[in-house]
Amino acid sequence: MGAPVKTAVKKVPFTIDGEPAEAKEGSFLLAALREAGVSVPTLCAHKELTPYGVCRLCVVEVEQKGRRKLVTSCNFPVRGELKVHTASDAVQKHRRLVAEMYLGRWPNVPVVKEVAKLCGATSSRFRSALTDENPKACILCGHCVRACKEFALEKVLHFAGRGIRRHLTMPFNAPDKTCIGCTSCAYICPTGAIEIVDELNRPADPKMIRDAGMKVSGEMSSLDRSQFRMRETGTANIVDVMDRYDLLPVHNYRFGSHPDTHKIGADILRKKYFTQGMSDGCWYGCSMACAKTIDGFKLKTGPYQGQPVCVDGPEYETCGAVSNMGCFDGDFVAEFNFYCDTYGVDTISVGTTIAFVMEAFETGVIAEKHTGGLKLRFGAGGAVLELLHQMARGKGFGVDVGQGIRWLKEKWVREYGADKKFLDDIGMEAKGLEFSEYISKESLAQQGGYGLAIKGPQHDEAWLIFMDQVNNAMPTFEAKAEALHYFPLWRTWFGLMGLCKLCWNDIVPADNYLEKEPSKVPGHVRNYFKFFEGMTGIPLDERKMLDQSARVYNLQRVMARMLGTAVEAHDAIPYRAMGPVTKEEYESRAERYDKQMQSLIGVDPTGKSTEEKMRITRAYREEQYRKVTQATYAKRGWTKNGVPKISRLKELGIDLPELVAIVKADQE
Amino acid sequence: MDKLDAIAARVNKDFKRYQAMLMVCTGTGCVSAKGFSIRDSLKAELKARKLDDRFLVVGTGCNGFCAAGPIIVVQPEGVFYHKVKEADVAAIVSEHLVGGKVVERLLYKDPSTGQVQPKMADMGFFNKQQLVALRNKGLIDPENVEHYIARGGYQSLRRLLAEKDQAAAQEKVINDVIASGLRGRGGGGFPTGVKWEAGKKAAIKRGEPIYVVCNADEGDPGAFMDRSIIETDPHSVLEGMLIGAWAVGSRGGFVYIRKEYPLALVRLNKALADARTHGLLGQRILGSDFSFDVKIHRGAGAFVCGESSALMASMSGQAGEPRAKYVHNVEYGYRDKPTILNNVETWANIPIIFEKGADWFSSLGTKGSSGTKVFSLVGSIKNTGLVEVPMGITLREIIEDIGGGVPDGRKFKAVQTGGPSGGCIPASCLEMKVDFDSLTEAGSMMGSGGMIVMDDRTCMVDVARYFVDFLTDESCGKCTPCREGLHAMNETLQRICAGQGKAGDIEFLEEVAQTVNAASLCQLGGTAGNPVLSTLRYFRREYEEHIRQKKCPALVCKALLRYDITDKCTGCTLCAKNCPTKAITGERKKAHSLDQAKCVQCGVCKDVCNFDAVSLRSES
Repeated sequence: MGAPVKTAVKKVPFTIDGEPAEAKEGSFLLAALREAGVSVPTLCAHKELTPYGVCRLCVVEVEQKGRRKLVTSCNFPVRGELKVHTASDAVQKHRRLVAEMYLGRWPNVPVVKEVAKLCGATSSRFRSALTDENPKACILCGHCVRACKEFALEKVLHFAGRGIRRHLTMPFNAPDKTCIGCTSCAYICPTGAIEIVDELNRPADPKMIRDAGMKVSGEMSSLDRSQFRMRETGTANIVDVMDRYDLLPVHNYRFGSHPDTHKIGADILRKKYFTQGMSDGCWYGCSMACAKTIDGFKLKTGPYQGQPVCVDGPEYETCGAVSNMGCFDGDFVAEFNFYCDTYGVDTISVGTTIAFVMEAFETGVIAEKHTGGLKLRFGAGGAVLELLHQMARGKGFGVDVGQGIRWLKEKWVREYGADKKFLDDIGMEAKGLEFSEYISKESLAQQGGYGLAIKGPQHDEAWLIFMDQVNNAMPTFEAKAEALHYFPLWRTWFGLMGLCKLCWNDIVPADNYLEKEPSKVPGHVRNYFKFFEGMTGIPLDERKMLDQSARVYNLQRVMARMLGTAVEAHDAIPYRAMGPVTKEEYESRAERYDKQMQSLIGVDPTGKSTEEKMRITRAYREEQYRKVTQATYAKRGWTKNGVPKISRLKELGIDLPELVAIVKADQE
Repeated sequence: MDKLDAIAARVNKDFKRYQAMLMVCTGTGCVSAKGFSIRDSLKAELKARKLDDRFLVVGTGCNGFCAAGPIIVVQPEGVFYHKVKEADVAAIVSEHLVGGKVVERLLYKDPSTGQVQPKMADMGFFNKQQLVALRNKGLIDPENVEHYIARGGYQSLRRLLAEKDQAAAQEKVINDVIASGLRGRGGGGFPTGVKWEAGKKAAIKRGEPIYVVCNADEGDPGAFMDRSIIETDPHSVLEGMLIGAWAVGSRGGFVYIRKEYPLALVRLNKALADARTHGLLGQRILGSDFSFDVKIHRGAGAFVCGESSALMASMSGQAGEPRAKYVHNVEYGYRDKPTILNNVETWANIPIIFEKGADWFSSLGTKGSSGTKVFSLVGSIKNTGLVEVPMGITLREIIEDIGGGVPDGRKFKAVQTGGPSGGCIPASCLEMKVDFDSLTEAGSMMGSGGMIVMDDRTCMVDVARYFVDFLTDESCGKCTPCREGLHAMNETLQRICAGQGKAGDIEFLEEVAQTVNAASLCQLGGTAGNPVLSTLRYFRREYEEHIRQKKCPALVCKALLRYDITDKCTGCTLCAKNCPTKAITGERKKAHSLDQAKCVQCGVCKDVCNFDAVSLRSES
């Protein structure tokens, strides 16, 4: 997402031993006590885990409405009028005795000894036949059980046996095959009762990796619920958000929202469709588990008609592609998703291409005689599925559509005499690749993100909409160029390392908004650097990371140049990605465009015809795009025509003669 | 005429057709003494003699006077036959029904006066009781919904569903339950209406569904109130749940019932099925917009699952372990949805509040504890059974007037209330009024209503040991004080009872019990210190005698007992033959002797001796 999350914090005042204090309403008392510098002994609390409330050492006395009672501070929510007594006789007495119980049962476990000493217990009257002298004994704190459930979303470990027979086990006392070996349990165990017997990849510093991994997992299990809800809905969580910000590519990117979006939105997917939400095969032990699945979905068309199937998804892009074609129906999303997967075609390319075909059909560029009778209007879900089946069978109109937008444009101009300029404006492809599912009209940085991406307009390389448009985090060309330099390199780096990017900014630390550059989510960038260093033993910083990526990035650009592309002309994008192509499109957002004309272009729109206003807007926006392109080239160390300068290749240590030969002619 | 009225009229008319109705108790107690066979042979006998059109046999739920079972009550005159055997059936038919003369030998005699008491109304066991939750006890067939309807059942629900302004009526129901002063009968004593109000508020605020749950996971040793209510009148519980569900806007309910209650389960299932066929459960109940259904969840026999949060965890398929309830179940209960949990008896009280009014209900009992309470009266008491009494009645009235006092000329010593984690109340407190607050003040608690009477042959240290042992076994082990503290208390008590008590034990027990009570996670642990604390409070001397003098004054703790053969011995050899450890030796016709080293204090010698020649002492 990349949107820095700021949560409204309501603080409530209360007192700790008579001293004023305050804490977030509903937050747990223990954190507030520790923040106030009060030492509270605990054996089952862990800052990354939900409170368990079982060791009972963190008890304090609270006074509410004149009544005093003993509560565990780890899970007692701060709310209402509250006085806390942390060192009353009762607190000290019970803590000491509970600590003595621990000491009687597990006298040699270091954490137990340490905590018992804090509580004033040095010897124990609770020694019995159950006393376990093992210094690495399990003390039933439940860290591992919760880590398994909350980090890995598995339930491999749990306690069995009642009362004093309580012990840690796996189901049926046998090694559980669903255990993915994520090692969270062993890592988080305070006594060393769980040992890792295998270090398969021999990392340089496994602890460094686990420390950073645990931070990710902890944030995931505690913050996701209030942030992007990736665990519940996956990337589809942003369907409604995109609609709200006028960014959904409705009807071939003409409009940013639609009254029926809720029919394919996060709520309906979560409530009516998704049946699975476990970590997918893409990364065992992933604590985000954003992959979602619909089980037992009954297909209505195609070769598997009538059969219940398992649909892997849908993700945001699939829902976005469906909005692009205007088919706002949850069942359609599932069926489209299933057949695209089954036929091995991409929902983005297919969806964007068909949306283009639909606009061409509705504007009369093509007609039923060209489509083999298919009435391909926006929203015609049945026709879309038929077209998809044709594409797979290599029959009918499907053969043409399967070639993609660039091929269709050329054919229609050549054979049907279609208006080339119009098709170039509305055919949402660049470098031959179909656009992914965001409207970039109001975000110059995102236009650059699409247009200046080496492999074409996909969102993976630079997804800057939120930072630019919603948060206005980069108001100048310089800032946009910096983002178009930094983010493609950062995102390329994930690919180089084989690491998933979703736990970089699809969850952000609670205090991310306090960072100097929150859009970079620096806290999480540091995590990745730790992963790298922990694995390889080589420390990493931003400079080094950018250089690692830039070598590959520039190599790719040089190779593209060798293939005859990769100059400014190829970085152009259709005008639909920059502004309103049609009158209808302009008028649907006339207020916004008129306002911008006044404030940004400095032209008074009053009395001007829509056509005139469109012309002025277009000239301005195209000029803006050119400027951002030039600024970005400069930042990347490329020539004005978008070719890497030899000096840049030298700087990166990749000025190999073969490469220099390719770009030599392009140098200024 | 409305469908319910039609059923009521038909059934009542039908009843009047009969000259007499024979109410055969088929509660679990009487069933274990062949209650079903008695009911069936009575039916067969009447049929064979072609009398079945004049006399109706009804198998009812528990009559309550379990000590006198199997029981047949002949209505309408109320003749009470006790300890009936299958062989007595013919006599009841020919002498009483045909001959018009009661069968004298099956009538109940007051054990203290020896006087024959032919009618239920004359008997001390019944005439101090006040039936509210058990209003249909012995009067209906629990497996016949029409019987319940004929007694005015489901009328409260029907009236409420017919109210024009449903929202206002629902609000009023909650306010009426608050006004009635009804407090949870499961032990906590939380005001029921306040719970409903909070649950409803939470559901509306969060836009989430709300569930109602009936807690029928009665696990206290010696307690069978909830089982009996379900076996006797399941529809009263169901109607209560329906009214509650309607008032708070719930569409789904559960009954969490113990697996060990097969008969209650059969009757509950039958009640649910009948309610569905009569349009009292399911979609659009009684033609209204209200839809609601109930599912049964069978508990697997963990005592802790009677605790609300553990119960809900168990219902959700998790291990039955409690959680902290700083956030209440009414807000985050079953599957984290707002949930209203009430005990069986609480639900059974609801319909009658709306039949007779909140004012009527609040006029019963005491100011802080209105209404009645059902108790199961067991232990060393003449009239073992199920009783329902107004709150505020004294312990003495329950134990002596209703219970008939302690049998065999023994002396009353204490009564244990509140289940395993309740406490023991001594003779000096017999004038105490029985209500939520007084029992708590006395160091015990109301609990769900188990009452175990103990006489002077009971060792209070042993009692504490027994209950602590039970709780040690039933503690889920999740939190430290309950898990480790109970184990330590159990070990200490075992030691004391085994004659190995030492100085400081009492202080240690007290200290541990206080911390277990104060620092445990749930109310199982939160009251687990009570057996120790309450026996120490009232019977500290017995502990001291055990520890210092190695003496068990009640002659219970085996290790502290000494059997001796006195000079009364005639040498009959009976004791020697029966002694399992061959500790007794001696020649025929000569006094025997007992080898203390071999004796295991089993007491067989004393039991078999015909000459009172075995003495039992507990002295150091």
